[in-house]
Amino acid sequence: MLITLERLTKTFGSTVAVDGLDLEVRPGRVTGFLGPNGAGKSTTLRMILGLDRPTSGRALLDGRPYAAYSWPLRKIGAVLEAKAAHPGRSGRNHLLAMARSNAIPASRVDVVLEQVGIAGAARKRTGTYSLGMGQRLGLAGALLGDPPVLVLDEPVNGLDPDGVRWIRELMRSLAAEGRTVFVSSHLLSEMQVTADHLVVIGHGRLVADAPLDEIVAGHASLEDAYYSLTSVR
Amino acid sequence: MSEMRAAIAAEWTKLWTTRTVWWALVAALVLMAAGAGQYAIYADNGDVDPALLRDGVVPPGTVAVLALAFAQLAFLALAMLVMTGEYSTGTMRATLTWIPARGRLLLAKSVVVAAVTFVAGTVAGLVGASISVALIGGRVSAGPVLGIGVYLALLGVFAVGLGAVLRGPVVTLVVLLMLVVVLPPLLQLPEIGVLTAIADGLPGVAGNHFLLGDSDPYAPGLGLLIVTGWAVAAFLAGRGELRRRDA
Ligand SMILES: Nc1ncnc2c1ncn2[C@@H]1O[C@H](COP(=O)(O)OP(=O)(O)OP(=O)(O)O)[C@@H](O)[C@H]1O
Ligand SMILES: [Mg+2]
Repeated sequence: MLITLERLTKTFGSTVAVDGLDLEVRPGRVTGFLGPNGAGKSTTLRMILGLDRPTSGRALLDGRPYAAYSWPLRKIGAVLEAKAAHPGRSGRNHLLAMARSNAIPASRVDVVLEQVGIAGAARKRTGTYSLGMGQRLGLAGALLGDPPVLVLDEPVNGLDPDGVRWIRELMRSLAAEGRTVFVSSHLLSEMQVTADHLVVIGHGRLVADAPLDEIVAGHASLEDAYYSLTSVR
Repeated sequence: MSEMRAAIAAEWTKLWTTRTVWWALVAALVLMAAGAGQYAIYADNGDVDPALLRDGVVPPGTVAVLALAFAQLAFLALAMLVMTGEYSTGTMRATLTWIPARGRLLLAKSVVVAAVTFVAGTVAGLVGASISVALIGGRVSAGPVLGIGVYLALLGVFAVGLGAVLRGPVVTLVVLLMLVVVLPPLLQLPEIGVLTAIADGLPGVAGNHFLLGDSDPYAPGLGLLIVTGWAVAAFLAGRGELRRRDA
């Protein structure tokens, strides 16, 4: 499945958060989404998920807006910045409610709990989870509907070294299975070993949309390439 | 239709998997029992509005309705938290990724709240009336008891819709309390026609007219219609806000 942004624009009062983004995010590869704080990454991802209404332009999944899908969790899995689970609900019950909302078999709940490695804490209230456990629960939710598209907003935040490696391999294997993986991050060294393709934005505008190799070419590292890209603006 | 069923199933699961619902239901029953005991004693002492007397006694259903003045607060809190809790805990965005159709989500929440408040409200009504029977005698009749369930279901839908408009739990609760508890006596006390008429249009007062079956100033059926009107208006306003505003 393809994510397509067409002249996507979002303003909050006088702030232009996203400014006429044209973009296609393709399946079968990990696309990293980079840009300084406040560049508009999270706002873009929220518009893809139908949470923020674009001021103008459109965000489409295979030609249709997110809200047009009957069972969206089976099409696109997301990890958002915001906490997804009520602190008083157990991780397992959270996923169970989520599965019911999209007519996903309850058996998937235990599968994803195992997959993200929090099966042992599944019956504890999510308010007691550590930062990394919360991230893993968020990922479990994203994987629940076995979706062809994953949109992840800084999923590496708060993960331990094992977790960082695990999510890197997870994203790579999801992309290898032909899925669309669109992931925002500030961890450039991590992106350098995870992403196949990079989208860089600054002040809501597209700065670069190119394969990783092309962006890094002529620089010592992605970090150097990133600074030369973003400091031009 | 299956999407609607799934949305209701998810909201049902969510409702019963935090402790809020249990606290609210226990509080509702305690308030009902305490209130009914108190009003039954007042009734026995002749300390109630004579208009409430039927054949010289206060019927048990009426005692339960009087006690509802307290118990309904727990139902209001439960209902409005189903909506505003999503904003205060920051889960609304996640919820809308599960169920992006705003109208469907709000309808699912309203259905779940109405079902729970109807059943729990009827049980509470039965408890209140039974306590009155135990203290001062009489017979429980089904009408007022079921009426309490219906009234609380509509009030629940109203609170959910208002929560969708206002989003914050505190502001929503304050507005609910103003409309249902605080404003009616303030408007009725001066006994000025226009103010009393305004009070008669508020959901709590209309609900009382409906539940007490008095035909002054309007028929009980109109009281039910007014409460329904508040519920429908809040639902539509909530749906409009959910569709219009960013999550
Ligand atoms: N709900 C909102 N109301 C007002 N302004 C907002 C809102 N959400 C985002 N903004 C503004 O839009 C701009 C883009 O924010 P956004 O969160 O999308 O950036 P980001 O690229 O995700 O940043 P970070 O790397 O810090 O997560 C910022 O100027 C931010 O202040
Ligand atoms: Mg962000």
